[in-house]
Amino acid sequence: MDLEIAAGEFIAILGPSGCGKSTLLRMIARLAEPTAGRITIQPEEQFQTSFVFQDAHLLPWRTVLDNAALPLELMGVAREERYATARTALQQVSLYEAEDRYPAQLSGGMRMRVSLARALVAHPRLLLLDEPFAALDEITRFRLDTQLRDLWRTRGITVVFVTHSISEAAFLANRAVVLTKRGGGIKLDRSLDLPLERNDDLRMDPRLGHEMKLLLSAMEEE
Amino acid sequence: MHRRSFLRIAPAIALLANCGKSPGKIRLALNWKPDPQFGGFYAAPYQAHGLDVEILPGGAGTPTIQMVGAGSAEFGVVSADELVVARSQGNDVVALYAVFQNNPQGIMVHASRKLASLADLFKAGGTVALQRGLPYARLLEKKYGFDKVKIVPSPGGDISAFLADKNFAQQCFIMSEPLTAKHRGADVQVFPVSDAGYNPYTTVLVTSGSFLRKDPDRAKAMVAAVREGWRAYLDDPKPTNQRMNQLNPSMAPEVFAEVADAQKPFIETDETRRNGLGSMTEERWQTLIVQLKELGDIQQAPAADDCYRAL
Amino acid sequence: MRRLRSVIPALIPLLVVTAAAELAVRYGFVKSYLVPAPSSVLRAMIESRAELFGALLTTSVSALVGFLLSTVAGIAIAVFLSSSRAIQRAFYPYAVFFQTVPIIAIAPLLVIWFGYGTRTVVASAFVVSIFPVIANTLSGILSTEPALRDLFRLYGASTLVTLFKLRFPAALPQILTGLRVASGLAVIGAIVGEFIGGQGLGSVVDVARTQQRVDKVFAAVLLASVLGLALFGLINLVSYITLRRWHASEQ
Repeated sequence: MDLEIAAGEFIAILGPSGCGKSTLLRMIARLAEPTAGRITIQPEEQFQTSFVFQDAHLLPWRTVLDNAALPLELMGVAREERYATARTALQQVSLYEAEDRYPAQLSGGMRMRVSLARALVAHPRLLLLDEPFAALDEITRFRLDTQLRDLWRTRGITVVFVTHSISEAAFLANRAVVLTKRGGGIKLDRSLDLPLERNDDLRMDPRLGHEMKLLLSAMEEE
Repeated sequence: MHRRSFLRIAPAIALLANCGKSPGKIRLALNWKPDPQFGGFYAAPYQAHGLDVEILPGGAGTPTIQMVGAGSAEFGVVSADELVVARSQGNDVVALYAVFQNNPQGIMVHASRKLASLADLFKAGGTVALQRGLPYARLLEKKYGFDKVKIVPSPGGDISAFLADKNFAQQCFIMSEPLTAKHRGADVQVFPVSDAGYNPYTTVLVTSGSFLRKDPDRAKAMVAAVREGWRAYLDDPKPTNQRMNQLNPSMAPEVFAEVADAQKPFIETDETRRNGLGSMTEERWQTLIVQLKELGDIQQAPAADDCYRAL
Repeated sequence: MRRLRSVIPALIPLLVVTAAAELAVRYGFVKSYLVPAPSSVLRAMIESRAELFGALLTTSVSALVGFLLSTVAGIAIAVFLSSSRAIQRAFYPYAVFFQTVPIIAIAPLLVIWFGYGTRTVVASAFVVSIFPVIANTLSGILSTEPALRDLFRLYGASTLVTLFKLRFPAALPQILTGLRVASGLAVIGAIVGEFIGGQGLGSVVDVARTQQRVDKVFAAVLLASVLGLALFGLINLVSYITLRRWHASEQ
C-alpha cells in the first residue's frame, strides 16, 4: 500500500476486522516495525506523537490529574507546569471537576475523555486514535466526536482515526481510506465532500448519507 | 529414651492409624530405626509362638507410647521414664520386658578436652546438645546447672556438628554414636548418665492394660518369643544384623556388628542371669518414680507394681 | 464496627468445636493424653505464660525478619527475572528449588552454616517463604498490559522508569497476594528452624512433647497460629491501605 498523509489532515481509516488497520496505526507510531516497505515522515524532525487506544488504559492507582499529566511526567516536566497543562487539557474535554477522582470512580465515557486529555498534553503534532469510542454509548460517542473535531480544528494537529464505523468516519474526517479485507491494499481513498464545520445537524444531512453510501459500498465489495 | 528430635503430628495420627488392622495381627511399634538395640525383636520366633507380628520401625519422634495407649499398636518400645509419666497421666500402659537393664544414655565429648566427669563438662563451657525435656536432662540441670554451657537441641544421631567442633558435646547411646564417631576419626570420651544416679530401664517392651486383660495368653507368648529372640541375637547377631541393615542402611555393617557387641553388657547382667533376660524389679521402678516426682515431671506417683508385669 | 460484626460467624464453629472437645475429654470419649481438654490448654497457657509469651516474642521476631528478607529478596529476584526471557529460562528453575526443597531435610545444614540460634531460624523462615513472593511478583510484572507499555514507550520512558512507574504499581495486587501466602509460610519455617536451632515456640513444642505435656504443646501451637494470623492480618491491612482507592479486591 502506498499512502500519503498531509500535515493537518483528519484522515479516517476504515476496513473490516483483521485487515490490519490497528497494526498500521502502531507502525505509524513507531511501536511496530513494518515487515516490508517503510514509513517515512517529512520533514525528518523530532515531533510528538500521541496515541489513544480503544480502552482508555488509565493507570488505576493515579488520580485523573496525574493520569492526564503522565506524558509530561515521563518527559521530565516539572510538577507545577505539567499540572497546569493537564488542567487545561482536562478543561478542553470538560473534565475539570474530576481531577482528584480515581479511574475506578469514573464512567467509561469520562475515562475516555481523560485518555484524550492525556493524548493532548504533550502538544502532539500527530494524533493517532484506534477505535477510541467503540465501547461507548451513542450519545457519549456523538459528544466526543464533536469534541475531537473541535480540538483538531483549534490545535491544527494531524489526526489519523481508525474506526469500523462508517458514520463516524464520515462525520469526523476530511478524507477516508478503506483498506482491503486481507490487508496491504487500499480499496478507496476519498476526500469527503462535506463542510469544514461539523455539528450535530450534519448527522441528519443527506450529504453525510451520500458519503456513507460510498464508503459502505467500498467496504462491502469483495 | 531416645533420639527423637523432630515432631510428628503425634496423637491425632495415632488415633487415625488404628483403622484398617487385620484381626489377630499384632503390631510392635519401635521408637527408632532398626538397629542393634532392637536385635532381639527382629530375631524373635513369633510364628513358633502362634503370633502374627508386624514390626513398625520408627524414627525421630515416633509416639510409641501414645500409639499403644490409643490402640494403634498392641506393643511398643519406650523408655521406663516415659512409661511412668504416661501412667501418671492416665495412659494405662504396662512394661513387660526391659532390653537394657542399665541406661545406655550418655554424653559424648572430645577426649582432647581432658574432662574427668559430667560435673567437669558442665563447668567447662562449650555447647551441649541434648533433649532438654527428657527427665535425665532435667536431672542433670538440677544437679550441675546449665548456666556455664550453651544448651542446644540434640541432632538425633547426626554427628556432623560434633565432628566439626571440639567443644561440642552430644547426647548419645554409649555403644552407638561414639563408635560411629570413632570410625570418622574422632577421639571420643563418653560419660554415662547413670553416673549421675539416673538409671531407668531402657528399650522396654510395653503393652496396654486393656490388651493384657483381654488377651493375657498372647501377651505371655509375646514375652516368651521376645526373650528367645534376645537370646538368639546375643548368641549370634549376624543374620539379624543383615536383615536390619537392609531396612536401615544409614549405619555401616561393621558398625552394626560393633554396636551389637558393645551393647551386650547392658543387656545381659548378673540380674538377668538369675532371673531371665528382660526381667525387672519393683525397687528399680520405685526409685525411678521417686526421682521423677522430685523432678516435678509427674504430679501423681503411680504405684511401682502397676508399672510392670512379669509374664 | 461492621468489620467486628463480620468476625462473629467465624467464631461460632470455633466455640462449638471447643465445647465439644471439652466435653469429649471430660467424659472420657477421647483420652486426655492424646487430645488435651481445651480447659487444660488454657491452664497450661496461664501457668507457663512467661515462658510461652517470651517464646512467642522470639518466634515473632525471627518470623518477621525472615519474612521481610524474603519480601525484599523475592521482589528483587523477580525484577531481575523479568528483565529478559533468556534470564527467566536460565534462572527460574532454581527459584522453584526454594519451593520444593523439604525444609526438614535442609534445616540441619542451616545449623552447620548459621549455628544454633536466631540466624538459623531466620534462614529457615526465609527459605520456606521466598518462593511465593518471587512467583507472584514475577507474574504481576510480566502481566502488565502491552498497551500501557506502548504508552510509556511513546513518551520515551526508559526501562527503569517503566519498571517503577508502571510495572511495579500494576503488579502490587499480585505482590500482596504472594506476601499473604509467604507470611504464613514464614511462621512455619521459623518453627521448623526452632526445632533444630532450639529457641522460641518451636523449642517449647519440642521440649513439651518429650515431657508428654500435650496441653503445653497445644498451647504453643495455638500461639503459633495466632502469630500466623497476625502477620496475615498485617498484610491485609497494608493491602487495604495501598489498594483501597483503586483495586477491585478492596472495594
